[in-house]
Order: sequence, then structure tokens, then C-alpha cells
Amino acid sequence: MISSLYRIFTIGRNTLTESIRQKVLNVLLIFALVLVASSFAFSGLGTPGLDASGMFDAQIKFVKDAGCGAIGIFGFLITLLSTAQLIPQELHNRTIYTILAKPVRRSEFLLGKFVGMVLLLTLCTALMSLAFAATLYWQEKQAVEQTEAVYDRDSRWKADPGRVADYNHDVAGIVAQIRDPQLVEAVLLIYFKLLMTTAIALLISTFATSSIFTIVTTFLIYLIGHMEGTARDFWLASGANSSIWQSGLVGFISLLIPDMNSFTIVDEILAGNKVPWTHMLNLLGYADVYIIVLLAVSVVIFDYREI
Amino acid sequence: MESSAPVATPFAAETAGLTKRYPLTWKRKVLVALDHLDLQVRPGEVFGLLGPNGSGKSTTLKLLLGLIVPSAGEARVFGLPPDSLEARRRVGFLPENPYFYGFLNGDETLRFYGKLCGVTGPRLERRIEELIELVGLQNGRERPLRSYSKGMLQRIGLAQALIHDPDLLFLDEPTAGVDPLGSAQIRDLILRLKTMGKTVIFSSHLLEQVQEVADRVAIFSLGKKVLEGSLESLLTENQSTQINIPAELSAGQQERLRAAIAQAGVDDRDVRFTRPHLSLEQLYLRTVQAQADLASKNHPGK
Amino acid sequence: MEIPASHMSTCLPLSRRLRRAALVALLLGLWAPCKIVWEQHIAREQDLLRYNGAPMTRQLRDELTQGLTIGVLSGMRNIVADFIWLQVTTEWMNNEWFRMSAYINLCTALQPRAPVFWDMGGWQLAWNASIAAMLDRTQPNELRRLKASRFWVDRGLEIYKRGIENNPTYWRLWSDTGMLYDQRLKDYRSAAHYYRTASEQPNAPVYLERFSAIMYDKLHANDDQAAYAEWKALWERLTPEQRKMKIHQGDRIESEIRRLEQKLSIPKEKRVFPN
Repeated sequence: MISSLYRIFTIGRNTLTESIRQKVLNVLLIFALVLVASSFAFSGLGTPGLDASGMFDAQIKFVKDAGCGAIGIFGFLITLLSTAQLIPQELHNRTIYTILAKPVRRSEFLLGKFVGMVLLLTLCTALMSLAFAATLYWQEKQAVEQTEAVYDRDSRWKADPGRVADYNHDVAGIVAQIRDPQLVEAVLLIYFKLLMTTAIALLISTFATSSIFTIVTTFLIYLIGHMEGTARDFWLASGANSSIWQSGLVGFISLLIPDMNSFTIVDEILAGNKVPWTHMLNLLGYADVYIIVLLAVSVVIFDYREI
Repeated sequence: MESSAPVATPFAAETAGLTKRYPLTWKRKVLVALDHLDLQVRPGEVFGLLGPNGSGKSTTLKLLLGLIVPSAGEARVFGLPPDSLEARRRVGFLPENPYFYGFLNGDETLRFYGKLCGVTGPRLERRIEELIELVGLQNGRERPLRSYSKGMLQRIGLAQALIHDPDLLFLDEPTAGVDPLGSAQIRDLILRLKTMGKTVIFSSHLLEQVQEVADRVAIFSLGKKVLEGSLESLLTENQSTQINIPAELSAGQQERLRAAIAQAGVDDRDVRFTRPHLSLEQLYLRTVQAQADLASKNHPGK
Repeated sequence: MEIPASHMSTCLPLSRRLRRAALVALLLGLWAPCKIVWEQHIAREQDLLRYNGAPMTRQLRDELTQGLTIGVLSGMRNIVADFIWLQVTTEWMNNEWFRMSAYINLCTALQPRAPVFWDMGGWQLAWNASIAAMLDRTQPNELRRLKASRFWVDRGLEIYKRGIENNPTYWRLWSDTGMLYDQRLKDYRSAAHYYRTASEQPNAPVYLERFSAIMYDKLHANDDQAAYAEWKALWERLTPEQRKMKIHQGDRIESEIRRLEQKLSIPKEKRVFPN
């Protein structure tokens, strides 16, 4: 068991090394960092309100949305493009022969590849989150300075406890929005959504004949997954009223495609609303079990694949 | 399906009715890559697989390695199914063409494959040093494999095949694309492995080389094994005898010998006196080695 | 060598292919019902946590361009909403009030639980649009301008109220509605109600607690009873330490209570400040 895990981890580390030594990934990552930083420029167009307080609500929302959105999009691109060519490249270069000639099970090989992708995603998400945190920090500093500038128009405001209370209230509002501990939950949700995408891409690649097929199919599943909730509700409610084709298609989607839309609860967190950890764990548990099922099916298909 | 229980057997590798068919769906035909192969390789043997491209040599190797699944028949390695972990622990594989990761350097490659074979820690490091020394890759160990020449790739390939000290080695075209000096070194290595009691099964186009190392060979054609046997028995021309005389004979001496043979009761009409030839390889090696020896005498330590 | 395709089935043992298919079917077959049950459970929890944004109906799809539709479909609802919000600002600067109103509706439909869209949207309509209508010289007379201005105030009020429905604990929406009733609609009773509710929400600023009482003072009929009730309730809510703090303006509250107790001739035993 230990030796099996050791072999899986060895292949995983090797996969990670390969991804890092591929310059393409570094370029993507730089793009991601640039985009997160450029959420500043985007946010400068926020609308002012009736008074100094709340002036930055829209701006902070933009920064949070753009930052998390960039992590999501670039994470998606990185994982999709990397995972899709994992197996085809091994088959094309025949490097898989050398590995499978060693005492390595096919399942260990496949899981090792997945572990490599997990390591890569973790690294990329961590780096992008760091950049995001830096962006938020800078945004907070800027917002507090600008708020103080507005109050400073009346030079005697610091003597008035009412005004001071208002200022503290405004600053507390800004800080609470930016230093929202729930942002950790948000990034975790995005990360797990990416892990699910990775597992889906890996599954498709076990029987696909080209990377393009894997990329397109995974992308389609990703999109359809966001409508799976609607399909499921329809299927469960429709009963005998729909045609066999409708029922079949909608049933197929409900039974096999993951509900990707449940991860968009991230929107709620970014808008500042509370999402309890119990719900988070529920979602993460769902993602974990789904990933395990996808990996199990991948292992079965790959075990029987002619190479 | 094959049974996965080990079977007591005197053979290092054996096949019974081993067949592999590939569907060629676009041509609406089936390709029979290997057709009912029966083969036995004893431990300690050096066994050569010969045949033109597409004759089934590589397919046989891959079936014996458990990389592909037979359409029919059975293969066993030390009595075990080839795709079992136990079998693969005792087997090493040098693939034709570089099936290695180009982004790893020599050391990293050996470390990676060593770990996969269960060789770890200081033992692994010792092994890497030994093998680098053995295959002569001191210069290239820090460079990525994508910058290696074909000869260097074969060397690292041999090293990774030996990293876990296997009992049986599969070498697919081990000297293809390698210069004659390197080839000779690989040949010597194979012979050395034989003296260590290892079994070697290799495929090659280079008939001269096979002749120098192999104990037994099998000749393949169009997926079938056409001929099998020891080199000795296959190549010996049973209908004639060769006598080697290390001297040049004059015409008179040749006539007297001919008479003596006739007296011994042998029909002397087809007796021929010829000069033995060196092979081009032997001449080349002799020349190049002499140069190398001269250079090291004049510039010791280089 | 090649042989006819009739031998296709002999390429792999049948048992192998069947086993693979059976295993895959088993795994997926076991998982599918669990998956559905679990997803329903998650969906129910999420419905409680939020009012899901408008589903991707045909109408919504028509209003969004193709790129934005894909954005919404791939779970980037919030970014699409932000992007559309930029249009709100643009239309404001172009004084295109109806278009701006449409974009505000779109943003709030996409993300009803982002309070900033309701708050800013209501402000844009009830203040910016209505004041612009008041100053609009292209209207033939004052009455028309007043009507147009009032139209936008009503639209803004509607946005505030729907925003409160979707985000009942966001203090600013209550407070801004109160301010609208107070300063544009002159409905002080409603303003008092909204201000009071605003001050009860989490993170509300301290000064709001006094506003409801002040509203009663502004009523032309001067509803002293209601004002007294408000001031008294506020005094009783504050702790002794808080009453001493300048931000809570304890002395002002005390003076208002005393004045009203005097004015309303409250019996001494029922007074907060009997002496």
C-alpha cells in the first residue's frame, strides 16, 4: 500500500516538474497575475453614492469579483489544457511504455498523473490567491486614504466625536468587506471546482483519441453542468408528460453530469453574504466523492485501454 | 484470461500460441501482428529475435512485458503473468527510440525510474553512480535528455533498464543508430550480463552483432516465427568442414593438401582454398582502438 | 499480415470488453441516484441561503449578448453583472435614463443578493434621474417636469423596496429609503419607520438611532406622542455607559424627553425624568 502510494506520488511529482518546465504554463500564470492586478483599473469606474460612506462598495465588489473570476478562468484554462494532453502525450511519445514496463500498475500511473495535476493546481491557485490578496490590500489602503481625504475637507472633523464615529464606521465597513474571512471559502470553492474539472478532463482523456476532443468535451460538460440543476428539476418533475427523447436527454444530464452551478454560491460570498461552513463542507464533500467516482471510472477504462 | 497464479517452470520466458490481432477499422481488415507464437527462453541465455520491420519482434517483446494484451494464447515470465508486478520487478526494458522524458537530466531520469522500481535512498544513489560509470555517461548526467545524442540515449536507456538489477532484460534494437564503437561496448555489456547469469532477449536488424552475442535466435516474418535454434546448429553448414591454417599456402602446398584430403576418402572436386576475410567492423574497431591506445600513451590521463 | 474484417471480434477477448463495460456501468449506476439525492439536498440548502438569480430564461438570454450568456452559463454571473453595471454608469453620464433603468433591472435580476446594485440603482433613479428630469428644459412646462421627476422617484423607490425584500439585513437600503421618504417625498412617518428598521440592522451607524425620533418632530402635525415614544424607546435601549457617550448624544435625548414630557403633561410617576 505504502509502496503503491509512493509510486503514485513519484509519478505525480514528475508530472508537476514537467508542467513547471513547460514554459507555456509560466506564461499563462503571468497573464493571470496581470489580470488580477488590472482589476484595479477596472474598478476605478465604480460609482460614488450619496455620501462618502458606501462609495467603495461597488469598487470593492468589482475587485473581488474580478480577482476571483480571474483565478477561476485561468485556473480553468491551466487545468484543462494541461490535463487534456497528459495521456495523449505519454502515448504519442511512448514514454508510457517505459513506465509500465516497471512494476507500476496502470491505475497507479493514472492516479499519479492526477496527483501531479492537483499539485500543479494547488501551486497555481496559491500563487494567484497571493496576487489577489495583494490586490485587496492595495485596494483597502487606497479606499481608506480616499475616505480620509473626503473627511479632511472639513479640517476640524477630528474634534467632533460624531464625525470620528462616522469615519470609523466607514473605515470599518471597507475593512470588513475586504478582510472578509469568507474569501478563503470562496477560493476553496473555486479550487474544488477546478479539481472536479481536472477529474472530468482526465476521464475523457482515458478514452479520447486526441487532446482537442478532450478539451472540447470537457468544456461542454462544464457548460452543461451549470444547467444541470434546471435539467434535474425538470426531469424529476416531468414524469410521464415529456417525450422519450426529452426524458432521455434530460435524464442523462441529471444522472451523469455534475451540478457545477452549485459552486456559484461563490457569488453570494463575494457579495458579502454569509455562507456557513456546514454548507461549504457539504459542497466540498460532494466534490470529493464525485472526484473519487470519476477517478474510479477512469482507472477502469484506462486499465483496459490498448496502448 | 490468463491465471495469475505463478507456475513452476524452468524457463525465464515462454509463450504458448501467443497471438495479437489489431483491428484496422478504416481498411475493414484485421492485422495479425503475431500469429501463434511458441517460444521458450532459458535462464542465462542470450536470445535474439530477428526479422524485417513489422514481422512481430516488437509485438512479442511488448506482450512479454505485459504492455499489451494478447488476442489469444499465453505468455509467462518466470512462470508469472507478464502484467503482474512480481514479473515486472524481475524484468528490465530498453525501448527502441528514446521513450524517456526529455525534460529530465540523466541523474533525474535514473532516480525517477529507480523509485518506481522500489529502489530508494542511499541504495538508489549508489546504484545511479554504478550505472553512470558502467554505461559511461559521466559527461551527460547533468544535461536534459532532449539534448542527448542517440548513443547517449541508448546508454541511459540501458542504465534505467538495469537500475533495479533485473534477472531478465528485454532490449529492443539496442544498437540501432549507435556508432560502431558504442555498439561494441553495448555488445560487451550484454556478454558481461550473461556472465552475471542474466537472461537477455533482444531484437535487432544488425545480423553481425546478433551473431556475436546470441546463443539462440528466432527468425520472424509476417507475424510468424519461421525458424528457431542455437546459432551453432543453424549456421553450421553440415555438409562441409572448415580448417583454419594460420599461414599463406603456395600453389604446390595447396595441391599436396588436396591429395591428402582425397586420400582420406573425401571427394576433392569441391575443395576450395580461400583467404579468410576480416569483417569491416573488426577492421574499424582494430583501427580506432589502436588510435585510442596511441593517444592515451602519448597523453596519459586524457 | 492482414486478414478479413470478419475476425474483428477476435482482437480482444470478449470477456475483457464485457468486464470493462460492466464495471463502468456498475460504478456509474451506483453513483447516479446518490448524486441526485445529494444535489437536491445542496440545492435546498442553497435556496435557503439565497434567492437564486433569475434562471436563464429566453427573455434574459435575449437581453444578454451571446458572450455574456456564456459567461452567465459558465458560472460567472457576478462578473457579467459587474460588466453590465459599467453600462449603468455610462448611460448616467449620457443622461439616457430609460436605458440606464433597463440595465439596472438586468443587474439586479442577475444578482439580486448583491445589495450594491439595488442601493446604487435606486439612488441613480430616485436622485440623479429625477433631478435631471426636474431641470429638463425640453419639457414644455413645470407640471410636466414635476411629473417626470416624480416618475423617476417612484421607480427608485420600487428598486429600494425590492432590494430590501432580497436583502432584508442591509442597513443602507433601509436608510436610503428613509432618506427618500424624508427628503423627496416628505412622508415623515414612513421615513421614521425605515430609519428605525435601518438602525436595528447589523453594522448600522450610530447616528441612525436618532433619526426616527427626529422624523416625528418634522411632521407638520407634530405627532408628539409618537415622537415621545420613539425617544423614550431609544433612551431605554441605551446602556448607562452609552448614554454618557457623545456619539449617542445622551444629553440631547434627555432634553427632548424632558421637553415632550412637559408638553404632553405626562404624570410624574410615568416620567423617565420625574424631577
